[in-house]
Amino acid sequence: MALAQLSCKVGDKEHNLNAMKRNIRQAKQKDANLVVFPELALTGYTCRDLVYELAEPIPEGLSIRRLEEVTKKEDIHVVFGMLERSERARAALYNTAVLLGPSGFIGKYRKTHLPTHSAFEEKRYFRLGYQAPVFETNIGRLGLIICYDVFFPEITRLLRLKGSQLIVCISASPAVRREFFETLTVARAIENTAYLVYVNLVGVEDGLQFWGGSRIVAPNGKIISQAKYDEEDLATGRIDYTDLERTETFVPTLRDLRPELFDLLKEQAENL
Amino acid sequence: MRLTSDALNLDLSSVESRIKRFIRDYVKKSGANGVVLGVSGGVDSSTTAAIAALALGGHAVLGIALPEEETYSVADVQHAKLVARKFGFELETVDISPILTSYFHSLPVYDVADKLSKGNLKARTRMVCLYYYANRLSKLVCGSSDKSETMIGYFTKWGDAAADIAPVMDLYKTQVRQLAVHIGVPKGIATKPSTPALWPGHLAEEELGIKYETLDLILFGLEHFMTTEDIAKQMNLPVEFVDEIKKRWLANEHKRRPPLTTKLGYRTVGSDFRLPYTSR
Repeated sequence: MALAQLSCKVGDKEHNLNAMKRNIRQAKQKDANLVVFPELALTGYTCRDLVYELAEPIPEGLSIRRLEEVTKKEDIHVVFGMLERSERARAALYNTAVLLGPSGFIGKYRKTHLPTHSAFEEKRYFRLGYQAPVFETNIGRLGLIICYDVFFPEITRLLRLKGSQLIVCISASPAVRREFFETLTVARAIENTAYLVYVNLVGVEDGLQFWGGSRIVAPNGKIISQAKYDEEDLATGRIDYTDLERTETFVPTLRDLRPELFDLLKEQAENL
Repeated sequence: MRLTSDALNLDLSSVESRIKRFIRDYVKKSGANGVVLGVSGGVDSSTTAAIAALALGGHAVLGIALPEEETYSVADVQHAKLVARKFGFELETVDISPILTSYFHSLPVYDVADKLSKGNLKARTRMVCLYYYANRLSKLVCGSSDKSETMIGYFTKWGDAAADIAPVMDLYKTQVRQLAVHIGVPKGIATKPSTPALWPGHLAEEELGIKYETLDLILFGLEHFMTTEDIAKQMNLPVEFVDEIKKRWLANEHKRRPPLTTKLGYRTVGSDFRLPYTSR
């Protein structure tokens, strides 16, 4: 797989779309079956009020159509982030991850946890996602999460329990949070005995510096591949799902799950 | 959280590279060919000029010393020249005394005894000169305000804080001093007492009535949502003293924001007109 960490031009879909197309072709030349782009790669992260004019319905939007042409031609899977507009309520927007494959659109995931603190203002613009789908593809069973979701073990656990072998986490993480993400991406992989690929933005938007450092984490927590910090990069790495079974036997976290704790968690979380 | 000087320690290599990347990125996206800065020879402007030169190359940085006769300091001018030489940027000197004199002659309400109004006029005159250079040379004005002074409002509104970018504005004064030493600003500049140079013998810590080492820790506590009681207790200070700093911080919000208006429209500038910085 290929980790395409881009620096995006805020609000310029044409520019970003062309950069994505270039990276898909380059990834294909490196024999990648999957290329992953950052959160909101199509528009840049800090779009603020421009979100309303930049969002598109998924999968009907033009940008999806244009990227589908590339994934079909290159016979490749792509995950990327974009602003989604609801077909039924035009002010209902989502921060969404899209999965495309050699036959076109496969599915989408709407961000479940929206950061609205510090420099983040996502709840001002976006509606929460309520689904955590797992996609059965010929490159494995994929679950998608977005950035701040990685702070909440529940969503990755849910995807794993639904059969996901590979968690794809797309991100727009600014530099002051690097240590958190470097720790949590490893933790989510280990505790779920799953592969995790993390792809972060680079570049500077509104004073926020995105740090890159995209990576593939093995189920035992080892870093299989790591992209550069703070610079655009197209890192690649190979994963082998047969290693999942070996790790699951060594640290059988799924076997040892205690479902009754989830009831207690729910009760406590509702009364925080 | 412990309010000791350790709390203000930085990963200086990381801070240096973040600030340089920020300057390079913004200048490039703006289409300008560099930056112009006022260089007084103090720690903030020397450090900002130095890091701008490290980021862009000295050829893209123009320092301007803007002395005036009342506060003229040979040492400060020498320090400005020293930094320019060491970091390889050009330094031009513009004596603003004649401009100030003509203001004083032109303003019917001018009062020589009102040193604050006169001092602010000096700071704003420097700003006007910097923007003239920026316009003429297609450069940006790079400000050198630090976080300590910005938080307590210790600056002239639309004067020294007026700039297109302010690369060290998220660093407290004592952190700017750390960065100065780290990037090679001569120690004599990095550690000398700060002065806004608005009137003769004007020293920041004297006017503020507090050492920056103390002020920065109080502000750091406030930044981290600590109560004034907690800050005072930890630092062994009277709570009334910390309360005064907090009041000063809050009361100066008007200096840090665009002018306030009353909401009348659908989206309002400075309030809920929330747009990103975009390049052309």
